[in-house]
Amino acid sequence: MANGDATAARLWLWARKARATDWDARFAEELPRVYNFFRYRVGPGVVAEDLTGITFEKAWAARDRYREDRAGFETWLFAVARNVAVDHFRRAKVSVPLDEVTDLPAGPTPEEIAERRSDEARLGALLARRSERERELLALKYGAELTNREIARMTGLSESNVGTILHRAVEALRAEWNKESHDG
Amino acid sequence: MDDRMLHEYRREPDPEFARDLRERLRRSERTRRFPRPVLRAVAVACSLGVVVALFAIPSVRVSAQALLDLFRVRRFAAVRFDQSRLDALESIEKEKGFLVFDHEETIREPGPPRSVPSAQAATAEAGFAVSTPSYLPDSLAADSVLVQGEGAMRFSVSEAKLRSVLDKLDVKGVTVPSGLDGQWVQVKKPPIVIQRFQSSNRRAVLLQALSPEVSVPAGWNLEQLAEIGLRILGLDPSEAKRIARTTDWRTTLLVPVPLNATTFRVVTVHGNSGLMIVTTGDEPPPPGKPQRKGVMVMWSAGDRVFCLRGNLSAENMLQMANSVSP
Repeated sequence: MANGDATAARLWLWARKARATDWDARFAEELPRVYNFFRYRVGPGVVAEDLTGITFEKAWAARDRYREDRAGFETWLFAVARNVAVDHFRRAKVSVPLDEVTDLPAGPTPEEIAERRSDEARLGALLARRSERERELLALKYGAELTNREIARMTGLSESNVGTILHRAVEALRAEWNKESHDG
Repeated sequence: MDDRMLHEYRREPDPEFARDLRERLRRSERTRRFPRPVLRAVAVACSLGVVVALFAIPSVRVSAQALLDLFRVRRFAAVRFDQSRLDALESIEKEKGFLVFDHEETIREPGPPRSVPSAQAATAEAGFAVSTPSYLPDSLAADSVLVQGEGAMRFSVSEAKLRSVLDKLDVKGVTVPSGLDGQWVQVKKPPIVIQRFQSSNRRAVLLQALSPEVSVPAGWNLEQLAEIGLRILGLDPSEAKRIARTTDWRTTLLVPVPLNATTFRVVTVHGNSGLMIVTTGDEPPPPGKPQRKGVMVMWSAGDRVFCLRGNLSAENMLQMANSVSP
Protein backbone atom coordinates (compact mmCIF):
# COMPACT_ATOMS: atom_id res chain seq x y z
CA MET A 1 0.00 0.00 0.00
CA ALA A 2 1.04 3.53 -0.55
CA ASN A 3 -0.45 6.91 0.06
CA GLY A 4 -2.50 8.93 -2.37
CA ASP A 5 0.44 10.85 -3.76
CA ALA A 6 2.04 7.63 -4.84
CA THR A 7 -1.15 6.65 -6.63
CA ALA A 8 -1.31 9.88 -8.54
CA ALA A 9 2.36 9.69 -9.35
CA ARG A 10 1.96 6.14 -10.62
CA LEU A 11 -0.93 7.07 -12.90
CA TRP A 12 1.03 9.98 -14.27
CA LEU A 13 3.97 7.71 -14.80
CA TRP A 14 1.89 5.26 -16.74
CA ALA A 15 0.44 7.98 -18.87
CA ARG A 16 3.88 9.38 -19.53
CA LYS A 17 5.48 6.07 -20.27
CA ALA A 18 2.69 5.15 -22.65
CA ARG A 19 3.34 8.35 -24.51
CA ALA A 20 6.90 7.56 -25.34
CA THR A 21 6.97 9.91 -28.29
CA ASP A 22 6.56 13.34 -26.81
CA TRP A 23 10.15 14.30 -27.34
CA ASP A 24 9.87 13.30 -30.97
CA ALA A 25 6.82 15.51 -31.21
CA ARG A 26 8.65 18.36 -29.57
CA PHE A 27 11.58 17.92 -31.87
CA ALA A 28 9.43 17.87 -35.02
CA GLU A 29 7.49 20.93 -33.89
CA GLU A 30 10.39 23.02 -32.70
CA LEU A 31 13.25 22.16 -35.05
CA PRO A 32 12.07 24.42 -37.90
CA ARG A 33 11.50 27.29 -35.50
CA VAL A 34 14.86 27.00 -33.78
CA TYR A 35 16.68 26.50 -37.07
CA ASN A 36 15.02 29.57 -38.56
CA PHE A 37 15.72 31.58 -35.44
CA PHE A 38 19.41 30.99 -36.11
CA ARG A 39 18.97 31.43 -39.84
CA TYR A 40 17.77 34.97 -39.19
CA ARG A 41 20.47 35.50 -36.57
CA VAL A 42 23.56 34.23 -38.39
CA GLY A 43 22.38 33.59 -41.93
CA PRO A 44 21.84 30.32 -43.76
CA GLY A 45 24.36 27.51 -43.79
CA VAL A 46 26.20 25.21 -41.48
CA VAL A 47 26.57 27.74 -38.66
CA ALA A 48 22.79 27.94 -38.27
CA GLU A 49 22.66 24.14 -38.25
CA ASP A 50 25.50 23.88 -35.74
CA LEU A 51 23.87 26.34 -33.37
CA THR A 52 20.53 24.56 -33.76
CA GLY A 53 22.19 21.28 -32.88
CA ILE A 54 23.90 22.80 -29.84
CA THR A 55 20.60 24.26 -28.66
CA PHE A 56 18.75 20.96 -28.85
CA GLU A 57 21.58 19.04 -27.24
CA LYS A 58 21.70 21.48 -24.34
CA ALA A 59 17.93 21.45 -24.01
CA TRP A 60 17.74 17.65 -24.14
CA ALA A 61 20.49 17.29 -21.58
CA ALA A 62 18.70 19.66 -19.21
CA ARG A 63 15.13 18.68 -19.91
CA ASP A 64 14.65 17.00 -16.56
CA ARG A 65 15.00 20.46 -15.06
CA TYR A 66 12.26 21.86 -17.26
CA ARG A 67 9.11 22.51 -15.29
CA GLU A 68 5.95 22.91 -17.27
CA ASP A 69 4.32 24.91 -14.53
CA ARG A 70 7.19 27.36 -14.48
CA ALA A 71 7.75 28.22 -18.13
CA GLY A 72 6.28 27.24 -21.44
CA PHE A 73 8.37 24.82 -23.40
CA GLU A 74 8.95 27.26 -26.24
CA THR A 75 9.97 29.96 -23.79
CA TRP A 76 12.40 27.58 -22.20
CA LEU A 77 13.80 26.28 -25.48
CA PHE A 78 14.30 29.74 -26.93
CA ALA A 79 15.95 30.88 -23.73
CA VAL A 80 18.49 28.12 -24.40
CA ALA A 81 18.74 29.19 -28.06
CA ARG A 82 19.32 32.83 -27.14
CA ASN A 83 22.12 31.84 -24.77
CA VAL A 84 23.68 29.71 -27.49
CA ALA A 85 23.55 32.71 -29.82
CA VAL A 86 25.15 34.95 -27.19
CA ASP A 87 27.97 32.42 -26.71
CA HIS A 88 28.44 32.20 -30.46
CA PHE A 89 28.77 35.94 -30.95
CA ARG A 90 31.05 36.21 -27.93
CA ARG A 91 33.38 33.62 -29.39
CA ALA A 92 33.21 34.81 -32.96
CA LYS A 93 34.98 38.11 -32.78
CA VAL A 94 33.69 40.33 -35.50
CA SER A 95 36.62 40.05 -37.83
CA VAL A 96 37.11 38.83 -41.32
CA PRO A 97 40.03 36.52 -42.08
CA LEU A 98 42.68 38.10 -44.26
CA ASP A 99 42.32 35.50 -46.98
CA GLU A 100 38.65 36.29 -47.26
CA VAL A 101 39.42 39.95 -47.72
CA THR A 102 42.12 39.34 -50.27
CA ASP A 103 40.13 36.72 -52.07
CA LEU A 104 37.27 38.98 -52.98
CA PRO A 105 36.41 38.84 -56.65
CA ALA A 106 37.92 41.65 -58.60
CA GLY A 107 34.87 42.86 -60.42
CA PRO A 108 31.81 40.83 -61.25
CA THR A 109 29.68 41.87 -64.18
CA PRO A 110 26.24 43.31 -63.53
CA GLU A 111 24.75 40.07 -64.82
CA GLU A 112 26.77 38.04 -62.32
CA ILE A 113 25.75 40.32 -59.51
CA ALA A 114 22.13 40.04 -60.48
CA GLU A 115 22.33 36.29 -60.64
CA ARG A 116 24.19 35.85 -57.38
CA ARG A 117 22.32 38.34 -55.32
CA SER A 118 18.93 36.80 -55.31
CA ASP A 119 16.24 38.32 -53.18
CA GLU A 120 17.08 35.85 -50.46
CA ALA A 121 20.75 36.73 -50.46
CA ARG A 122 19.94 40.44 -50.50
CA LEU A 123 17.63 40.06 -47.54
CA GLY A 124 20.23 38.05 -45.68
CA ALA A 125 22.81 40.75 -46.28
CA LEU A 126 20.42 43.46 -45.11
CA LEU A 127 19.55 41.49 -41.98
CA ALA A 128 23.23 41.19 -41.16
CA ARG A 129 23.48 44.98 -41.04
CA ARG A 130 20.82 45.39 -38.37
CA SER A 131 21.78 45.89 -34.75
CA GLU A 132 22.07 42.92 -32.41
CA ARG A 133 18.81 43.72 -30.69
CA GLU A 134 16.88 44.30 -33.89
CA ARG A 135 18.19 41.13 -35.44
CA GLU A 136 17.32 39.06 -32.41
CA LEU A 137 13.77 40.41 -32.38
CA LEU A 138 13.44 39.83 -36.13
CA ALA A 139 14.70 36.27 -35.63
CA LEU A 140 12.22 35.63 -32.84
CA LYS A 141 9.37 37.17 -34.81
CA TYR A 142 9.94 35.79 -38.30
CA GLY A 143 12.26 32.86 -37.70
CA ALA A 144 10.75 31.42 -34.53
CA GLU A 145 7.29 32.77 -35.40
CA LEU A 146 6.63 34.04 -31.90
CA THR A 147 4.05 36.68 -31.14
CA ASN A 148 5.06 40.10 -29.86
CA ARG A 149 3.67 39.11 -26.47
CA GLU A 150 5.80 35.98 -26.36
CA ILE A 151 8.87 37.94 -27.43
CA ALA A 152 8.18 40.53 -24.75
CA ARG A 153 7.88 37.82 -22.10
CA MET A 154 11.11 36.27 -23.28
CA THR A 155 13.21 39.39 -23.60
CA GLY A 156 11.86 41.43 -20.70
CA LEU A 157 10.82 44.25 -23.05
CA SER A 158 7.29 45.55 -23.04
CA GLU A 159 4.99 44.29 -25.78
CA SER A 160 4.62 47.77 -27.22
CA ASN A 161 8.37 48.24 -27.17
CA VAL A 162 8.81 44.98 -29.09
CA GLY A 163 6.26 46.17 -31.64
CA THR A 164 7.98 49.51 -32.03
CA ILE A 165 11.46 48.04 -32.47
CA LEU A 166 10.21 45.51 -34.99
CA HIS A 167 8.29 48.14 -36.91
CA ARG A 168 11.36 50.36 -37.14
CA ALA A 169 13.58 47.45 -38.11
CA VAL A 170 11.24 46.37 -40.89
CA GLU A 171 10.94 49.96 -42.11
CA ALA A 172 14.72 50.27 -42.16
CA LEU A 173 15.04 47.02 -44.08
CA ARG A 174 12.44 48.22 -46.55
CA ALA A 175 14.20 51.53 -47.06
CA GLU A 176 17.56 49.85 -47.64
CA TRP A 177 15.96 47.35 -49.96
CA ASN A 178 14.34 50.06 -52.02
CA LYS A 179 17.55 52.09 -52.09
CA GLU A 180 19.53 49.10 -53.35
CA SER A 181 16.89 48.39 -55.96
CA HIS A 182 16.94 52.01 -57.07
CA ASP A 183 20.73 52.16 -57.18
CA GLY A 184 20.77 48.98 -59.23
CA MET B 1 10.37 44.23 -49.61
CA ASP B 2 7.54 43.57 -47.23
CA ASP B 3 6.40 41.46 -44.30
CA ARG B 4 5.68 38.55 -46.62
CA MET B 5 9.24 38.47 -47.85
CA LEU B 6 10.54 38.38 -44.32
CA HIS B 7 8.34 35.37 -43.61
CA GLU B 8 9.46 33.72 -46.81
CA TYR B 9 13.08 33.90 -45.73
CA ARG B 10 12.25 30.89 -43.56
CA ARG B 11 13.41 27.49 -44.81
CA GLU B 12 12.80 23.96 -43.69
CA PRO B 13 15.91 22.44 -42.14
CA ASP B 14 17.82 20.06 -44.37
CA PRO B 15 16.20 16.61 -43.90
CA GLU B 16 19.56 14.90 -43.46
CA PHE B 17 20.57 17.38 -40.78
CA ALA B 18 17.19 16.94 -39.06
CA ARG B 19 17.48 13.16 -39.15
CA ASP B 20 21.04 13.12 -37.81
CA LEU B 21 20.25 15.52 -35.00
CA ARG B 22 17.14 13.62 -34.03
CA GLU B 23 19.09 10.39 -33.83
CA ARG B 24 21.72 12.04 -31.64
CA LEU B 25 19.02 13.31 -29.31
CA ARG B 26 17.19 10.00 -29.21
CA ARG B 27 20.27 8.30 -27.94
CA SER B 28 20.29 10.67 -25.01
CA GLU B 29 16.62 10.40 -24.26
CA ARG B 30 15.24 8.93 -21.14
CA THR B 31 11.65 8.20 -20.26
CA ARG B 32 10.46 11.55 -18.95
CA ARG B 33 7.78 13.03 -21.15
CA PHE B 34 5.66 16.12 -21.29
CA PRO B 35 1.93 15.59 -21.12
CA ARG B 36 -0.22 17.51 -23.55
CA PRO B 37 -3.28 19.37 -22.39
CA VAL B 38 -5.87 16.80 -23.41
CA LEU B 39 -3.93 13.85 -22.09
CA ARG B 40 -3.03 15.84 -19.01
CA ALA B 41 -6.73 16.43 -18.51
CA VAL B 42 -7.44 12.76 -19.02
CA ALA B 43 -4.78 11.82 -16.51
CA VAL B 44 -6.13 14.23 -13.93
CA ALA B 45 -9.66 13.09 -14.60
CA CYS B 46 -8.46 9.52 -14.12
CA SER B 47 -7.02 10.55 -10.83
CA LEU B 48 -10.38 11.83 -9.68
CA GLY B 49 -11.18 8.36 -8.61
CA VAL B 50 -14.92 8.39 -8.60
CA VAL B 51 -14.69 9.69 -12.12
CA VAL B 52 -13.02 6.42 -12.90
CA ALA B 53 -16.56 5.27 -13.34
CA LEU B 54 -16.74 7.58 -16.33
CA PHE B 55 -13.70 5.97 -17.81
CA ALA B 56 -14.84 2.56 -17.30
CA ILE B 57 -16.53 0.79 -19.82
CA PRO B 58 -18.85 -1.58 -21.43
CA SER B 59 -21.06 -4.28 -21.65
CA VAL B 60 -21.49 -4.69 -17.98
CA ARG B 61 -20.32 -8.19 -18.15
CA VAL B 62 -21.53 -9.04 -14.74
CA SER B 63 -19.23 -11.67 -13.45
CA ALA B 64 -20.40 -15.12 -12.53
CA GLN B 65 -20.34 -14.15 -8.91
CA ALA B 66 -22.05 -10.85 -9.67
CA LEU B 67 -19.44 -9.20 -7.51
CA LEU B 68 -18.18 -6.69 -10.00
CA ASP B 69 -19.38 -4.42 -12.72
CA LEU B 70 -16.90 -4.52 -15.55
CA PHE B 71 -16.48 -1.78 -18.11
CA ARG B 72 -14.77 -1.53 -21.46
CA VAL B 73 -14.39 1.29 -23.96
CA ARG B 74 -16.63 1.04 -27.00
CA ARG B 75 -17.11 4.70 -27.79
CA PHE B 76 -15.68 8.10 -26.97
CA ALA B 77 -17.41 11.29 -25.95
CA ALA B 78 -16.00 14.73 -25.32
CA VAL B 79 -16.96 17.09 -22.59
CA ARG B 80 -15.78 20.67 -22.52
CA PHE B 81 -14.32 22.08 -19.37
CA ASP B 82 -12.50 25.18 -18.26
CA GLN B 83 -8.73 24.94 -17.99
CA SER B 84 -8.92 26.82 -14.71
CA ARG B 85 -10.82 23.89 -13.22
CA LEU B 86 -8.01 21.57 -14.14
CA ASP B 87 -5.56 23.93 -12.47
CA ALA B 88 -7.77 23.96 -9.35
CA LEU B 89 -7.87 20.18 -9.27
CA GLU B 90 -4.13 19.96 -9.63
CA SER B 91 -3.73 22.45 -6.84
CA ILE B 92 -5.95 20.36 -4.57
CA GLU B 93 -4.01 17.27 -5.50
CA LYS B 94 -0.72 18.94 -4.62
CA GLU B 95 -2.14 20.10 -1.31
CA LYS B 96 -4.00 17.02 -0.22
CA GLY B 97 -2.55 14.15 -2.19
CA PHE B 98 -4.53 11.92 -4.49
CA LEU B 99 -7.99 13.39 -4.82
CA VAL B 100 -10.46 10.77 -3.65
CA PHE B 101 -8.48 7.62 -2.94
CA ASP B 102 -6.86 6.51 0.26
CA HIS B 103 -4.73 3.63 -0.88
CA GLU B 104 -3.38 2.09 -4.01
CA GLU B 105 -1.83 -1.21 -4.86
CA THR B 106 0.13 -2.01 -7.97
CA ILE B 107 -0.90 -5.42 -9.15
CA ARG B 108 1.22 -5.40 -12.26
CA GLU B 109 3.82 -2.82 -13.30
CA PRO B 110 3.72 -2.15 -17.06
CA GLY B 111 7.30 -0.93 -17.28
CA PRO B 112 8.64 1.42 -19.95
CA PRO B 113 7.82 0.93 -23.65
CA ARG B 114 10.23 -1.41 -25.40
CA SER B 115 11.31 -1.00 -28.99
CA VAL B 116 10.45 -3.89 -31.31
CA PRO B 117 11.59 -4.34 -34.91
CA SER B 118 8.18 -4.45 -36.61
CA ALA B 119 4.42 -4.49 -36.28
CA GLN B 120 4.57 -8.26 -36.61
CA ALA B 121 6.91 -8.43 -33.65
CA ALA B 122 4.56 -6.15 -31.74
CA THR B 123 1.70 -8.53 -32.48
CA ALA B 124 3.60 -11.35 -30.82
CA GLU B 125 4.58 -9.14 -27.91
CA ALA B 126 1.19 -7.52 -27.29
CA GLY B 127 -0.95 -10.57 -27.89
CA PHE B 128 -3.32 -9.09 -30.46
CA ALA B 129 -3.17 -8.48 -34.22
CA VAL B 130 -1.56 -5.08 -34.67
CA SER B 131 -3.05 -2.94 -37.44
CA THR B 132 -1.08 -0.49 -39.53
CA PRO B 133 -2.23 2.41 -41.69
CA SER B 134 -2.02 1.89 -45.45
CA TYR B 135 -2.20 5.64 -46.15
CA LEU B 136 0.74 7.80 -45.09
CA PRO B 137 0.33 11.41 -46.24
CA ASP B 138 2.90 14.20 -46.40
CA SER B 139 5.83 11.87 -47.11
CA LEU B 140 5.43 10.15 -43.76
CA ALA B 141 7.33 6.90 -43.39
CA ALA B 142 7.17 4.23 -40.71
CA ASP B 143 9.74 5.12 -38.11
CA SER B 144 9.63 2.84 -35.09
CA VAL B 145 7.39 0.51 -33.08
CA LEU B 146 7.22 0.21 -29.31
CA VAL B 147 5.22 -1.98 -26.95
CA GLN B 148 4.33 -1.19 -23.37
CA GLY B 149 3.32 -4.16 -21.24
CA GLU B 150 0.18 -4.81 -19.29
CA GLY B 151 -0.42 -2.94 -16.05
CA ALA B 152 -2.96 -3.29 -13.28
CA MET B 153 -3.68 -1.26 -10.16
CA ARG B 154 -6.41 -0.94 -7.61
CA PHE B 155 -7.50 1.95 -5.43
CA SER B 156 -9.67 2.32 -2.37
CA VAL B 157 -12.18 5.15 -2.24
CA SER B 158 -12.29 7.75 0.52
CA GLU B 159 -15.67 9.40 0.98
CA ALA B 160 -14.07 12.02 3.20
CA LYS B 161 -11.65 13.02 0.44
CA LEU B 162 -14.44 13.15 -2.10
CA ARG B 163 -16.51 15.43 0.13
CA SER B 164 -13.47 17.59 0.73
CA VAL B 165 -12.90 18.00 -3.03
CA LEU B 166 -16.55 18.96 -3.51
CA ASP B 167 -16.27 21.51 -0.71
CA LYS B 168 -13.08 23.03 -2.06
CA LEU B 169 -14.58 23.37 -5.53
CA ASP B 170 -17.80 24.71 -4.04
CA VAL B 171 -19.85 22.02 -5.77
CA LYS B 172 -23.35 22.10 -4.25
CA GLY B 173 -26.45 20.02 -4.74
CA VAL B 174 -24.90 16.61 -5.32
CA THR B 175 -25.42 13.60 -3.13
CA VAL B 176 -22.48 11.35 -2.41
CA PRO B 177 -23.73 7.78 -2.45
CA SER B 178 -23.27 5.93 0.79
CA GLY B 179 -21.15 2.82 1.00
CA LEU B 180 -18.29 4.05 -1.18
CA ASP B 181 -15.81 4.33 1.63
CA GLY B 182 -13.08 1.72 1.48
CA GLN B 183 -14.41 0.15 -1.72
CA TRP B 184 -11.84 -0.85 -4.30
CA VAL B 185 -11.72 0.15 -7.95
CA GLN B 186 -9.47 -1.90 -10.18
CA VAL B 187 -7.95 -0.69 -13.43
CA LYS B 188 -6.37 -3.06 -15.94
CA LYS B 189 -4.38 -1.61 -18.78
CA PRO B 190 -3.66 -4.10 -21.54
CA PRO B 191 -0.43 -3.87 -23.58
CA ILE B 192 -0.22 -0.79 -25.79
CA VAL B 193 1.43 -0.78 -29.22
CA ILE B 194 2.91 2.54 -30.31
CA GLN B 195 3.78 3.08 -33.98
CA ARG B 196 5.64 6.23 -34.97
CA PHE B 197 5.61 7.79 -38.43
CA GLN B 198 7.86 10.64 -39.42
CA SER B 199 8.86 12.95 -42.24
CA SER B 200 11.16 15.95 -42.12
CA ASN B 201 8.49 18.18 -40.64
CA ARG B 202 5.49 15.97 -39.96
CA ARG B 203 4.87 13.24 -37.48
CA ALA B 204 2.10 10.93 -36.41
CA VAL B 205 1.79 8.34 -33.69
CA LEU B 206 -0.72 5.51 -33.65
CA LEU B 207 -1.50 3.89 -30.31
CA GLN B 208 -3.64 0.78 -30.16
CA ALA B 209 -4.61 -1.61 -27.43
CA LEU B 210 -7.34 -3.90 -26.32
CA SER B 211 -9.85 -1.92 -24.31
CA PRO B 212 -8.69 -1.02 -20.83
CA GLU B 213 -10.93 -2.47 -18.13
CA VAL B 214 -12.23 -0.90 -14.99
CA SER B 215 -14.10 -2.92 -12.43
CA VAL B 216 -16.06 -1.48 -9.54
CA PRO B 217 -18.19 -3.12 -6.87
CA ALA B 218 -21.54 -4.22 -8.24
CA GLY B 219 -24.41 -1.94 -7.40
CA TRP B 220 -22.67 1.40 -7.69
CA ASN B 221 -24.98 4.09 -9.01
CA LEU B 222 -23.02 5.11 -12.07
CA GLU B 223 -25.37 7.88 -13.08
CA GLN B 224 -25.01 9.49 -9.70
CA LEU B 225 -21.24 9.10 -9.69
CA ALA B 226 -20.99 10.39 -13.24
CA GLU B 227 -22.94 13.50 -12.28
CA ILE B 228 -20.52 14.11 -9.42
CA GLY B 229 -17.57 13.61 -11.75
CA LEU B 230 -18.99 16.04 -14.29
CA ARG B 231 -19.65 18.64 -11.61
CA ILE B 232 -16.07 18.22 -10.43
CA LEU B 233 -14.97 18.92 -13.99
CA GLY B 234 -16.90 22.18 -13.77
CA LEU B 235 -20.09 21.48 -15.70
CA ASP B 236 -23.18 23.30 -14.50
CA PRO B 237 -25.75 21.23 -12.58
CA SER B 238 -28.31 20.82 -15.37
CA GLU B 239 -25.72 19.91 -18.01
CA ALA B 240 -24.02 17.45 -15.68
CA LYS B 241 -27.35 15.81 -14.89
CA ARG B 242 -28.35 15.63 -18.55
CA ILE B 243 -25.05 14.08 -19.68
CA ALA B 244 -25.02 11.69 -16.72
CA ARG B 245 -28.47 10.44 -17.64
CA THR B 246 -28.01 10.11 -21.37
CA THR B 247 -24.58 8.46 -21.50
CA ASP B 248 -23.94 4.75 -21.26
CA TRP B 249 -21.10 4.87 -18.80
CA ARG B 250 -20.30 1.22 -19.26
CA THR B 251 -19.25 1.73 -22.87
CA THR B 252 -18.19 5.35 -23.05
CA LEU B 253 -14.80 6.85 -22.42
CA LEU B 254 -15.24 10.48 -21.53
CA VAL B 255 -12.52 12.78 -22.79
CA PRO B 256 -12.27 16.17 -21.09
CA VAL B 257 -11.48 18.81 -23.72
CA PRO B 258 -10.11 22.18 -22.59
CA LEU B 259 -12.29 25.09 -23.69
CA ASN B 260 -9.50 27.26 -25.02
CA ALA B 261 -7.95 26.77 -28.43
CA THR B 262 -9.41 23.32 -28.84
CA THR B 263 -12.25 22.03 -30.97
CA PHE B 264 -13.69 18.58 -31.28
CA ARG B 265 -16.13 16.74 -33.49
CA VAL B 266 -17.60 13.29 -33.85
CA VAL B 267 -16.10 11.40 -36.80
CA THR B 268 -16.67 8.02 -38.38
CA VAL B 269 -13.78 5.61 -38.70
CA HIS B 270 -14.54 2.34 -40.42
CA GLY B 271 -18.19 2.78 -39.57
CA ASN B 272 -17.43 3.32 -35.90
CA SER B 273 -18.09 6.53 -34.09
CA GLY B 274 -14.90 8.29 -33.15
CA LEU B 275 -13.77 11.60 -31.77
CA MET B 276 -11.44 14.13 -33.34
CA ILE B 277 -9.85 16.79 -31.14
CA VAL B 278 -8.03 19.64 -32.82
CA THR B 279 -5.80 21.85 -30.72
CA THR B 280 -5.51 24.97 -32.81
CA GLY B 281 -2.99 26.89 -30.80
CA ASP B 282 -4.36 30.07 -32.33
CA GLU B 283 -4.59 31.92 -29.07
CA PRO B 284 -1.38 32.87 -27.31
CA PRO B 285 -0.92 30.44 -24.42
CA PRO B 286 -1.32 31.78 -20.92
CA PRO B 287 1.89 32.86 -19.21
CA GLY B 288 4.03 29.91 -18.35
CA LYS B 289 2.06 27.47 -20.50
CA PRO B 290 3.27 25.96 -23.75
CA GLN B 291 1.37 26.47 -26.96
CA ARG B 292 0.14 23.27 -28.59
CA LYS B 293 -1.02 22.42 -32.05
CA GLY B 294 -2.11 19.05 -33.27
CA VAL B 295 -4.86 16.64 -34.07
CA MET B 296 -5.97 13.55 -32.18
CA VAL B 297 -8.42 10.95 -33.48
CA MET B 298 -9.77 8.28 -31.13
CA TRP B 299 -11.97 5.38 -32.14
CA SER B 300 -12.71 1.80 -31.25
CA ALA B 301 -13.10 -1.19 -33.53
CA GLY B 302 -14.06 -4.61 -32.25
CA ASP B 303 -12.26 -5.17 -29.00
CA ARG B 304 -9.55 -2.60 -29.68
CA VAL B 305 -9.20 1.12 -29.08
CA PHE B 306 -7.07 3.40 -31.25
CA CYS B 307 -5.62 6.84 -30.82
CA LEU B 308 -3.86 8.63 -33.69
CA ARG B 309 -2.02 11.85 -32.88
CA GLY B 310 0.04 14.09 -35.10
CA ASN B 311 0.70 17.47 -36.64
CA LEU B 312 -0.93 16.75 -39.99
CA SER B 313 -4.12 18.37 -41.24
CA ALA B 314 -7.39 17.11 -39.78
CA GLU B 315 -8.37 15.70 -43.17
CA ASN B 316 -5.14 13.76 -43.57
CA MET B 317 -5.36 12.46 -40.03
CA LEU B 318 -8.88 11.20 -40.62
CA GLN B 319 -7.92 9.58 -43.91
CA MET B 320 -4.95 7.96 -42.22
CA ALA B 321 -7.20 6.69 -39.41
CA ASN B 322 -9.59 5.20 -41.94
CA SER B 323 -6.71 3.38 -43.61
CA VAL B 324 -5.95 1.46 -40.42
CA SER B 325 -7.42 -1.97 -40.98
CA PRO B 326 -10.01 -2.72 -38.30
